[in-house]
Amino acid sequence: MAELSFNVDHGYLEGLVRGMKAGILTQTDYHNLAQCDTLEDMKLHLQSTDYGKLLSSSEEDLTVSLVDNKLRENLVTEFSCLRTNALPPLSTFLDYITYSYMIDNVVLLITGALKQRDVAELLPRCHPLGAFDQMAAVGIARTPTELYSAILVDTPLAQFFQDAVSESNLDEMEAEILRNKLYKAYLESFHSFCKNIGGATKDIMCPVLEFEADRRAFIITVNSFGTDLSGADRSALYPSCGKLYPEGLRLLAKAEDHEQVKAVADCYPDYKMIFDDPEPGSDFKTLEDRFFEQEVKLNTLAFLQQFHFGVFYSYIKLKEQECRNIVWIAECVTQRQKSKIHNYIPIFQGKN
Amino acid sequence: MGVPEPEESFLSLDAKLLRFMDQLELLEEKRATLNSLIEQGWFSLSKARYSMGNKHVSALQYASEIEPLVCVHARTLDNGEAEFCIERVTQSKESGKDERSVEDIGPQEEGVRRRNKPKKDIARSEKAPEVTPVKKNDQNPQQDPLKWFGILVPQSLKQAQLSFKQGMMLHFQTSLYFMIDAAKVRSDNFDNINMAYKSKRHNQIQKNTTCQ
Repeated sequence: MAELSFNVDHGYLEGLVRGMKAGILTQTDYHNLAQCDTLEDMKLHLQSTDYGKLLSSSEEDLTVSLVDNKLRENLVTEFSCLRTNALPPLSTFLDYITYSYMIDNVVLLITGALKQRDVAELLPRCHPLGAFDQMAAVGIARTPTELYSAILVDTPLAQFFQDAVSESNLDEMEAEILRNKLYKAYLESFHSFCKNIGGATKDIMCPVLEFEADRRAFIITVNSFGTDLSGADRSALYPSCGKLYPEGLRLLAKAEDHEQVKAVADCYPDYKMIFDDPEPGSDFKTLEDRFFEQEVKLNTLAFLQQFHFGVFYSYIKLKEQECRNIVWIAECVTQRQKSKIHNYIPIFQGKN
Repeated sequence: MGVPEPEESFLSLDAKLLRFMDQLELLEEKRATLNSLIEQGWFSLSKARYSMGNKHVSALQYASEIEPLVCVHARTLDNGEAEFCIERVTQSKESGKDERSVEDIGPQEEGVRRRNKPKKDIARSEKAPEVTPVKKNDQNPQQDPLKWFGILVPQSLKQAQLSFKQGMMLHFQTSLYFMIDAAKVRSDNFDNINMAYKSKRHNQIQKNTTCQ
């Protein structure tokens, strides 16, 4: 029984992550930040939160980019603290979380190399959570097969390459296809790992990952309209561990416009409300915003149960949303677009 | 002596001044529209960063050498006036030999070059438009800049590109048109003021001689 044995290996870290979760910004904090007129004011307000002197300690000019970098550094420090103290299977679980960042880094390095950007310029911009030893060599691969066999075969990403190997030259289209195929394999692998763990971890993580899979299918479909990516090509990119599999994915592959995608979403109650037309008078939200909102709702549910690994995943995702919120407010402040400043997504309503 | 009536010059001057004021008002309106389009474009870029991640919509996504999709050709005519025309490089799938791209002549900074943010096309006025040699390029130079950020980009990035494109065309229309027209109006006004002054002076001299 998980309740008896969980705390032996993972109790300390669950306690730690719940403590860190208590420091997530509240509505009051966001309200204060939205009132600021400059980034300096925002820095002042952030000092009274768990971020403390994060921005004050830097000597560089205060820009939105610096704020983003510092918030990311903070998250990486917290994650490293959890990962270094983790025992299996939590260590494997936390490693799974880092693979998505590794995939993003690989694609960033490939597209940077296509634009003749120097590796020394690209490496600092990669996400630290997705760092691996062979990163500097990624840019020299010309095809996905070469990338796999010469560079990534000894990395954790090797297991996701079954469907992604191909002899086509790595241009923008191939890089996008590679990104999505790797992510599909990663998501399906993570889903089956959580299913095998069972118990509360499976109950919390599987719906979250199924939502992620379905979200990717919808976003890929909507963004592919007007591009060279055909329906047949994009159906190979849809992860199959979601609720949409198999019927929904089949219909999405055939969709040619936004209305047809909405018709597919109408068959699933969770997704129907995401694609519903907004109420008159309310703010316009993009599709991505609505998916982010739903993701936050699902992740906050993780903290209602104990003795499972979902809290770690959810904490990372919620902190990322918090970073996005703070950076959004900072952009609105610097561009003087105060009318849209409240488009952030509050994470915990009221008290934590 | 052949000096025109002063009233005619003054009337013509007034008409030109009124026309100048009307055009100034039009210019200010268009400038306001341009500013709001640029702000909209920047804001859409921020929204794209929110969805895609800050590092995925940044300077890393474009090369340090960029080929313009829109060029401005300028030349001076015999009567001293400047003529401008906009050449839009058409996007085609095959990069054939007869597609011309503009080569950098001499030092890199020759000519007036306004390098804008990655979503905007670069405009450059050339002093010698007859020299446009063929330049070989490894990559397809007519690639849509949207593709620098990936194939599956969100709607906000497409909106940003649209805003910047509209802003660019508005900028061409207003700045080039008004540059030519303002130069013409200025030179006409100068001639009129000169003539009006000459005729006034002539009248004064005549008055003085009749009084004496």
